Amino acid sequence: MAERPLTDRLDETVDAIVRREDATGALRDLELAPFARVAADLRHYPRPAFKTRLRAQLERRTTMTAISTTTAVREGFTTVTPYIRVGDAGLVDFLAQVFDAQETFSGRGSGGGMHREVRIGDSMVMIGEGGTAAGGVMPIRPVTFHVFVKDVDATFERAIAAGATSLGEPADRHYGERSGFVSDPLGNHWYIATALGQQSLASALRTVTPVLRLKGAAEHLEFLKRALGAVEEMRAAEPSGALRYGRIRVGDAAIELGEGDPMPGSFMLYVADPDAMYQRAVAAGATSIMPLSDQPYGRVGGVQDAVGNQWFFSRPTPAMS
Amino acid sequence: MTQTTEDDRLLIEAAQADPARFLELYERYVNRIYTFVSRRTENRAAAEDITSQVFERALGAVGRFEWRGLPVSVWLFRIASNALADHWRERSRNADEPAPDVPDPREIEDIDRRIALYQEVERLPDVQRQVILMRFVEEKSIREVAAALNRSEGAVKQLQLRALETLRKSMGGHG
Repeated sequence: MAERPLTDRLDETVDAIVRREDATGALRDLELAPFARVAADLRHYPRPAFKTRLRAQLERRTTMTAISTTTAVREGFTTVTPYIRVGDAGLVDFLAQVFDAQETFSGRGSGGGMHREVRIGDSMVMIGEGGTAAGGVMPIRPVTFHVFVKDVDATFERAIAAGATSLGEPADRHYGERSGFVSDPLGNHWYIATALGQQSLASALRTVTPVLRLKGAAEHLEFLKRALGAVEEMRAAEPSGALRYGRIRVGDAAIELGEGDPMPGSFMLYVADPDAMYQRAVAAGATSIMPLSDQPYGRVGGVQDAVGNQWFFSRPTPAMS
Repeated sequence: MTQTTEDDRLLIEAAQADPARFLELYERYVNRIYTFVSRRTENRAAAEDITSQVFERALGAVGRFEWRGLPVSVWLFRIASNALADHWRERSRNADEPAPDVPDPREIEDIDRRIALYQEVERLPDVQRQVILMRFVEEKSIREVAAALNRSEGAVKQLQLRALETLRKSMGGHG
């Protein structure tokens, strides 16, 4: 039988290698064997896109790691601190009565109002009262928080006694917590919860976690990954595809998201490189609302995303740290 | 201390000071880790998945890495061994699946030879490289490749032979 051309024999061998079939017969063909060995080594030749994709993935994570560089974060704070802007005083008292919040700082802000900082459990919240804080860019609007307490029923009662309106009586929830919902006198929503068991979200959260309710939450979660280097930790979708619950982590801080009537928030992010973060957010589609500048408390710049959340990037001065 | 070890030490210190510098470690070792892993996995998707896990884990742990004078590759190979063991345990549901050893010098040599081969593929003339990618990565048949390149099947077989011949020669004839 006349020997078939080398091109055909080689092609059969390549077919066998790619299909993970036995191709060792090729090694007995002296003419074919050297090619078969090269072909066998090519079986795992990496997809050209793979390394680029993995590099981009790692780059996003390194950015996330970079923003959480502890030297950039003020003592006692985490990477992300929610900033509640209110028209009137009274929120600090409400938080003290209901959650035993302690005011750790208060001073006149650059916009003429009061800048206050309170600690609730292991979490910090900033409050801007009146004035035109942050150069007048930060709007007065209510925001939403998920807060873990020892006894949800007692805390819920204290909240109502302090002037809050019930949005839902405490009840055992299928997601591992007993929780009740209130709106404080200034309109902020508090999801008050006590963990019920291992399934609770509490283990992944601090005392107070901001919740972003918005339209198109699933798409927005993707935006936050691009803009902030946020890492997606959890995603539960409705059958319709809408985001029922999502959780991202920015540096060492978590933010929860869900589809709902929009209640965007404002946030202070302590980062090692505010310029890089600001530019990254703008490149991802955010709009600048506060160009980067050096302030007495540190370098800061701010952006607003398409659904109205505001993100201020700051590297505090050593005195502030 | 060898130059490689000294370079490793500097790379680790840089990554610990600035996580963005971890990407330099990644660039330096991704081919070795991928190749090590791909020899022990059933397909390309599994090799890519495990390689991703290795670098994700390494990035998470680099801050705690304590320099003991061993090459960084040993640390990464250990992470890869554990990730492979996890992979096989999951597939076999066998909790006793041992982690594979980190590669010995002979295997390292073989890994480096494959990496050199992969780099040679990058240097092939365009059309030959396309044939290699379509045949080995996209796993297309000769007929599909011929249709994609608008050439006859015979011509594609010739291109395939020439590409492998070029690679064989560039690898010193013992590929």
